[in-house]
Amino acid sequence: MYTIGRIAAQVGISADTLRYYEKEGLLQPAKKSDAGYRLYDADAVRRLHFIKHAQHCGFSLAEIRELLTLKNSDAACCRDVRNVAIQKKLQLEHKLRALHAMSQALTELIAVCNDETRSLDDCPILAALETSLGRQQEAASDA
Amino acid sequence: MLKVEIFSSPGCGKCAQATAALKAAVMELGADKVTWREVDVLKEMDYAVDLGVLSTPAIAIDGELVFASLPSVEKLRVALRQRLAR
Repeated sequence: MYTIGRIAAQVGISADTLRYYEKEGLLQPAKKSDAGYRLYDADAVRRLHFIKHAQHCGFSLAEIRELLTLKNSDAACCRDVRNVAIQKKLQLEHKLRALHAMSQALTELIAVCNDETRSLDDCPILAALETSLGRQQEAASDA
Repeated sequence: MLKVEIFSSPGCGKCAQATAALKAAVMELGADKVTWREVDVLKEMDYAVDLGVLSTPAIAIDGELVFASLPSVEKLRVALRQRLAR
């Protein structure tokens, strides 16, 4: 059995994170000591590694809870897990597009600002951002 | 000619069951009026992202994401008839 400090150190997360996982229904201590301290078993270590790996793949805690539920469901099969992974990949691809567009917008702004000695009043990046903001506000008021 | 595309992934049981009924409803309108295509999102991920597909199954009509989740047969019929009437 592991105390909260020991299992947290072993997995590389904080004790507060473990308590948060418990609150979110992702992990429960196997039992409590006579003094009321949480005690975890080897299954908890495996579960925590699962959570960490899933987070590295971009899954939110809610999605990880869904995966853990599937993992422990007799009615579920690999196909169900695969579908969850496919939905996640679709979401990530959308985010990648958005990030790429943001990066491209910054590239254009940086290219416009070719004289670093200009005063702030003449900074083309600030001017472009203000113009862009103004356009967005106009579009919002027109809508 | 309307182009109906259903985005799904192979092996999706939920998709397969619903797809058959929807396909039948689409084809009732006549092959001269509508086409039906099943899009594997894993093979055409870029296209799915272009159309804004965030989850499967989903349905696009003429390249526009119209149903982000599977509609009832009746809702799909109505959407198609509205477009055919334009």
